[in-house]
Amino acid sequence: MKKIVLACLLMGVSVLAQDTSKWICPSEVPQPEDNKLTKERIELGKLLYFDVRLSRDDTISCATCHSPSRGWSDEVPTSKAVGFQGRVGPRNSPTILNSAFQKKQFWDGRAKSLEAQALGPIEADVEMNMPLDMLIPKLNKIQGYKELFAKAYPESKGVITKEYLAKAIASFERTVISPEAPFDKYIKGDKNAISAEAKKGFELFQGKAHCTDCHDGWNFTDGSFHNIGLNDGELTGKELGRYNVKARPAWYGVFKTPTLRDVTKSYPYFHDGSVKTLKEATVLCSEGGRYENNVKNKSEYMKKRDLSEDEVDAVVAFMHTLTGPDVKVDIPTSFPQ
Amino acid sequence: MKKMGVLLVSVVMCSMMLDAKDYVVDQVKKTFIPHEVTLHVGDYIVFKNSDPFAHNAYTDDEANEFDIGMQATGEDIRVKMKAPGSFDVECAIHPNMLLEVTVK
Repeated sequence: MKKIVLACLLMGVSVLAQDTSKWICPSEVPQPEDNKLTKERIELGKLLYFDVRLSRDDTISCATCHSPSRGWSDEVPTSKAVGFQGRVGPRNSPTILNSAFQKKQFWDGRAKSLEAQALGPIEADVEMNMPLDMLIPKLNKIQGYKELFAKAYPESKGVITKEYLAKAIASFERTVISPEAPFDKYIKGDKNAISAEAKKGFELFQGKAHCTDCHDGWNFTDGSFHNIGLNDGELTGKELGRYNVKARPAWYGVFKTPTLRDVTKSYPYFHDGSVKTLKEATVLCSEGGRYENNVKNKSEYMKKRDLSEDEVDAVVAFMHTLTGPDVKVDIPTSFPQ
Repeated sequence: MKKMGVLLVSVVMCSMMLDAKDYVVDQVKKTFIPHEVTLHVGDYIVFKNSDPFAHNAYTDDEANEFDIGMQATGEDIRVKMKAPGSFDVECAIHPNMLLEVTVK
């Protein structure tokens, strides 16, 4: 009897001793040596992020498609440049949440840093459609911005360049971090923070459902690129994904694995925004993609997992625990003149 | 005399080939192990894949550019180092994997 009690105790210790470190949010945000975070840089970046004057016709800001009230994303199937001739982008707006921790930016990973990413949407003709050779002189005529750039980047002496513009916007983006979610409380020891169904879902997520093959670690992405079989046959145009960056065979039709933090707020799902609900997205992945065959370079992770409906519901219930409370963002109401 | 010359060149080439060394870099749990390697021109990196899924290794370094393509579990792929320099190698599927290479 004593032996049984001891064995049970040891099993309990072993469960408690499981290494949960990979699920714990890091306490520090990565910052490049040449653009360390300061209060001045973050505040300047925030003004720029919400300022519609960065677009060609003064109607669109970064926040139009990456809004704090919509999970730092939007709720339309593709990025919609609503202010400029109603042009519709080819891809769903990705959330910028925790992008500071991503080694590659954009769905196709074409930018290696937030600084490299920040100017892309400004110039994209389907987004803000503002050529930098028009924007930089425009900003340099706004005395209030010149003063803020001089404070944030003294070496600029108030002369705004595209490099300082990118650095300032990237500084604000680096502060957009997911809030503490029920899962975080659970993993730190509060066993009542999530439901029994969600706990079952977490086990499935790591096991039978194979979600952690890609959605691994505290940010629920390992940053990997995959063709998950949303389309079959030969791909063209933007559907080629990372292959458009460079024609490597491994990059044919692949897109970045998105974070699942605050995932209930960042619908619709996948790079083309073709799936409306989290349950549909989970079913699609558990069935090995929309197309089983005739998908060139399909990820080997995309296999049928034979999940029952209850198991799918449990995985979805678990993913709901990755959404934290709404964070109040003080959106600027006045901008430098 | 001509024969001597050919022999000498052959000996030198053979000795260079014998001097070339293999440096094994494994891919385990989405990590290059070791994560940095220093070797000489003519040496080889032998990429192994001990993970239960495919990997890749590539560099865009101009002098040593290579892309081993999709590497299946258990497969070994040798890549010869062509020129001196320092560069990064990434996995095209898992870009968080980083190998720092120095060729002397």
